[in-house]
Amino acid sequence: MQHVNSWRDVAAATGAADRAAAEEGVRSAYRLAGLAEPERIVWAESPRAAVEAVEKLTDAGRSVREEVRTRPWAEERRRMYDELGPAGWSALWSATGAQLWETTAALAERIRAGVVADLAPRPTEEGAVRLVLLDAVLGQHDAAWLAAFDGRGDRLTGLAEVARNAGWWWPYERAVVISERPEVLHRDEAGRLDHGEGPALAYRDGFALYAWRGMPVPAAFLAELASLTPQRIREEENAELRRVMLEYYGYDRYLTESGAEPVHRDETGILWRIALDGDEDVVMVEMVNSTPEPDGTHRTYWLRVPPGTRTAKDGVAWTFGLEGAAYAPVRQT
Amino acid sequence: MYRQGDVLIMAVEESAVPAPFLKASGELRDGRGRLVLALGEVTGHAHAVQGPGRLIREAGPFGPMLLHLPEGGRVVHEEHATIALPQGWFRVVRQREYAPGAIRIVAD
Repeated sequence: MQHVNSWRDVAAATGAADRAAAEEGVRSAYRLAGLAEPERIVWAESPRAAVEAVEKLTDAGRSVREEVRTRPWAEERRRMYDELGPAGWSALWSATGAQLWETTAALAERIRAGVVADLAPRPTEEGAVRLVLLDAVLGQHDAAWLAAFDGRGDRLTGLAEVARNAGWWWPYERAVVISERPEVLHRDEAGRLDHGEGPALAYRDGFALYAWRGMPVPAAFLAELASLTPQRIREEENAELRRVMLEYYGYDRYLTESGAEPVHRDETGILWRIALDGDEDVVMVEMVNSTPEPDGTHRTYWLRVPPGTRTAKDGVAWTFGLEGAAYAPVRQT
Repeated sequence: MYRQGDVLIMAVEESAVPAPFLKASGELRDGRGRLVLALGEVTGHAHAVQGPGRLIREAGPFGPMLLHLPEGGRVVHEEHATIALPQGWFRVVRQREYAPGAIRIVAD
């Protein structure tokens, strides 16, 4: 578990790469794969810049991603599977890699999509960019797999060394292109990209992704959030963007300013409904945190529930996957 | 049934626990020796159990999970009051939120 937490930090690391350590990791990974060390190591400021650098490479030889990363991983996985058995391997994975998998895989996919969007303005150009991305070793974003293998052999130490010190990298026979890590990374408590006041992920060269609770949003959209009005929210036709607007604006503020009336009230909370033109109603339960804040107040929070919800208790129960009648905590804090 | 913030803990009869889980070895503990029911990625705040017991994750990183406490235990969190649990088996559920076309988990 301590491995998981250190790899969780690796996956979320920002700031300048330790280039010397990363380059030593690269050379070590080549040696461990039985290959000659690369003649050149080219640094790029972001994955986008790295893809451009790969496209400009001459005389680099073929991709050796298979030998450097995929094959050693597959063999280590096989070795550990044979040693631990199906249940043991499954328990190890669930205690290590599975904990990091969803957030890092989603982040890597967002970065890929961002690189493609930036470098391939026309759909016909996307294929070429995607092909280059296929050759990437994900460095820090390989944390989930590396967490599972950590401390169980020396075969992957080169890969792990690069991951701890740099971003994505592209191994070819005679050259390696390696990317810096992001300068900025903002996530919410669930690990999703999330920032209302600028990019959620940004590299030094300006390559950036914008997101609200994991949902990709345009940069210009965020700039508008600060000046929202209930009227503007009602007029937004894109339902997903309107949801982000509502969350940013604050359900409580919106409820007050739009004159919404509570639909139902009971011991679990208050049920609110906002009708929206051409879209399903927004139905929310308002709950009060049972544990007081340090200043003695109780934090109120709102969660959206399905539009067919009739009572506050049904709504709260739904957030835990239960029917209203089944929801009866004897103690809550 | 107990609730600590965005985590609900429901007692289940041992007879209702699927056989493979009765003997499953369970999750590893964190660096502080705790069973972590839910972890906040950014603050590192965790809903966690101290003391003897096992946590068995059924599917996916966000549960549901089964918790076995042979001697009872305490669920702690940096921002919520501690909850004492009796001895037995529990199902642990993370709170979720409705979004049109999707369901999102909640993390406090």
